[in-house]
Amino acid sequence: MTTLVDNLFNGLALGAVYALIALGFVTIFKASGVLSFTHGSLLLLGGYLTAILHDDLGFAGALALAVLATAAVAGLLDRYVLQRIGTDPHAAHVATIATIGVDIVLVTDLSRRIGGDLLGLGDPWGDAVTDMGPATVADSRIAAIIVSAVAIAGAFALFRFTPWGLSLRAAAEDSEAAALMGVRLTRVRMLAWCLAGALAALAAVFLAAFPAPGLERTTGQIALKAFPAAILGGMASPVGALVGSLLIGLTEAFVAGYQSDLHVLGEGFGDVAPYAVMVLVLLVRPAGLFAARGAARV
Amino acid sequence: MNVTHHRTRTTRVALAAAVAAVLLTGTACSSKAEEDKGGGGADGVEAGPGVSAETIRLGALTDLTGPYATLGKSIVQAQQMWADETNAAGGICDREVEIVVKDHGYDVQKAVTAYADISSDVVALPQVIGSPVVSALLDDIQRDDLLTFPQAWAASLLGKDAVQVLGTTYDLDMIAAVDFLTRTEKVAKGDTIGHVYFEGDYGANALEGSEWAAQKAGLKVAGQKIKATDTDLSAQVSALRKAGVKAVLISAGPAQTASLAGVAASRGLTVPIVSSAPGYAPQLMKTPAAKALEAMVHVVSAAPAVSSDLPGVRKMVAAYGKKYPGSPVDSGVLSGYNAAQLLGADLKKACEGGSLTREAVVKAHRSQENADTGLGTPQNFTDVSQPASRSTYVLKPDAKAVGGVITLEEAHEAPGIEEYLAAKG
Repeated sequence: MTTLVDNLFNGLALGAVYALIALGFVTIFKASGVLSFTHGSLLLLGGYLTAILHDDLGFAGALALAVLATAAVAGLLDRYVLQRIGTDPHAAHVATIATIGVDIVLVTDLSRRIGGDLLGLGDPWGDAVTDMGPATVADSRIAAIIVSAVAIAGAFALFRFTPWGLSLRAAAEDSEAAALMGVRLTRVRMLAWCLAGALAALAAVFLAAFPAPGLERTTGQIALKAFPAAILGGMASPVGALVGSLLIGLTEAFVAGYQSDLHVLGEGFGDVAPYAVMVLVLLVRPAGLFAARGAARV
Repeated sequence: MNVTHHRTRTTRVALAAAVAAVLLTGTACSSKAEEDKGGGGADGVEAGPGVSAETIRLGALTDLTGPYATLGKSIVQAQQMWADETNAAGGICDREVEIVVKDHGYDVQKAVTAYADISSDVVALPQVIGSPVVSALLDDIQRDDLLTFPQAWAASLLGKDAVQVLGTTYDLDMIAAVDFLTRTEKVAKGDTIGHVYFEGDYGANALEGSEWAAQKAGLKVAGQKIKATDTDLSAQVSALRKAGVKAVLISAGPAQTASLAGVAASRGLTVPIVSSAPGYAPQLMKTPAAKALEAMVHVVSAAPAVSSDLPGVRKMVAAYGKKYPGSPVDSGVLSGYNAAQLLGADLKKACEGGSLTREAVVKAHRSQENADTGLGTPQNFTDVSQPASRSTYVLKPDAKAVGGVITLEEAHEAPGIEEYLAAKG
């Protein structure tokens, strides 16, 4: 029972953090048709800024600045690098490849700065834990779930109730028609990148906080685990990304937690499990769980 | 139109051929030049690649920009310090020692290129970082007869004439770890112990040792395989608690050890944890898990703590602190300096034998039966199929100590190691 509750909380917390990242993927994809491979490095950038600034600004100040700075970097990257490649569907493929290059450049520089260090982010939760019935849950986990829920709700509100959200949805539906109706595509997509960058920086905090020992040069690689989440959700659906992330998080936690009972599948199945789930879902629903009819598949 | 096109192509082909010819000639010249370098010195000592009348050139394939950058920097600086000290004292065989450092960033492809670049011009490699790098280069190193000290300790690297794993192998360390747990009555017959280990040579070899020792001691092992990118071990701790472990062994990196101890402590799983030597770094004492590490973790290592009282270690630590103020003094400094000293002894012996060819250096190395640098336990390099040492220290994390660890138990050979090695053949 204890193990079950433990795994459930682990899975939910992981899923919540993946959801922050996956929502970024989906927002960018909706707005620009680009698959962002830069997310790992944006996440690392956000975490790194929080880590080096928290001594001077305090955790909240450092985080706020890191989120804004990462959002700005993501937005500028789209405006001045990717949009120059073009905005038609073909250019989106080229831009996708370009994001890989940008990622390598950013990661290389950040890795050089971080070196072999483990950077603490100065978060207020430390290694505190709370007893929840039979299980003990790290406070940072609870915070991850709450903060992610608030951030995701905020993002959904942006999609639903703001002019930008309306423009985004219109552009995703038919960019040409949207442009003819006066939607400023370049600005819509730049803001989408900003939002995704901000979410990634926020996710970095929870990936580096306890139970993890701190921010490492490899922390950004975790962003790749949100890819199957976004894809199995249907890539263009924010709700799909959310459900997909929780599914992936829970799968990972349960497979790792019950690894010894899953010997049949071989050791270390936890790493493969997210992708196995993705393939299974895509076999049944080739366009993803929540894909709009006729949406582009990846 | 056609004709012009044809002509352009012919010109291009000709141009390409010319460029290729120039390149080939260039290569031929340079390889000839390298062969020339390997002539005998005026002192009658036979020389080979990497050795001239004035210099002995050594190579280091290290990681200064990848995941083991901190370790790489420590080893490079420690070995450079050794070279400077040696040269100040007149060098080896009346020649200056020079170390050529190549950074591969833990990328096997880059390492292979770097090896090809320097291998023809060095006499030995006192540093090669990374198990995958060493594995990829094994055949080349054997073919070139290039004495190599890898910074990797898997038993699979034994049995190669030119490759020398210094100290104990991972499996012996874990046998010593299980011995430590049973001897100090932290576990008893019938108990289950956990073993969290990296995929690959390191983890596999460590698990081999723990499983053998556990079976001898009547313990069960609950294994948890992880990857280098797993830094949150919550799920593993849940599983270990479910398995009812009384102690946990870990053969991974420092980040994983920190997460394991931190999570286990927060979940009330306060069992002893014993780590392989690469699983600890002094930087961990700055993470939130520091308290848990001090309370629960021990480290089994063939090298003593940097804070050890051994005169050789104290002298080296003092010299290093003076030469590189501000650089952390970690286990990499100790192992790098030790490797360089051992190689220095091999070179001196080869010189006394009248030859500094690669073959002579390997032969001199393999004749060292009791190599003692004063930086730990003596090592025996004569049997290529056996680990150079069987003795291990038990260390304990301590935030206040130099290098973040203190020595808890002095070096000794754990019972069972003799039997284990005999059974392995």
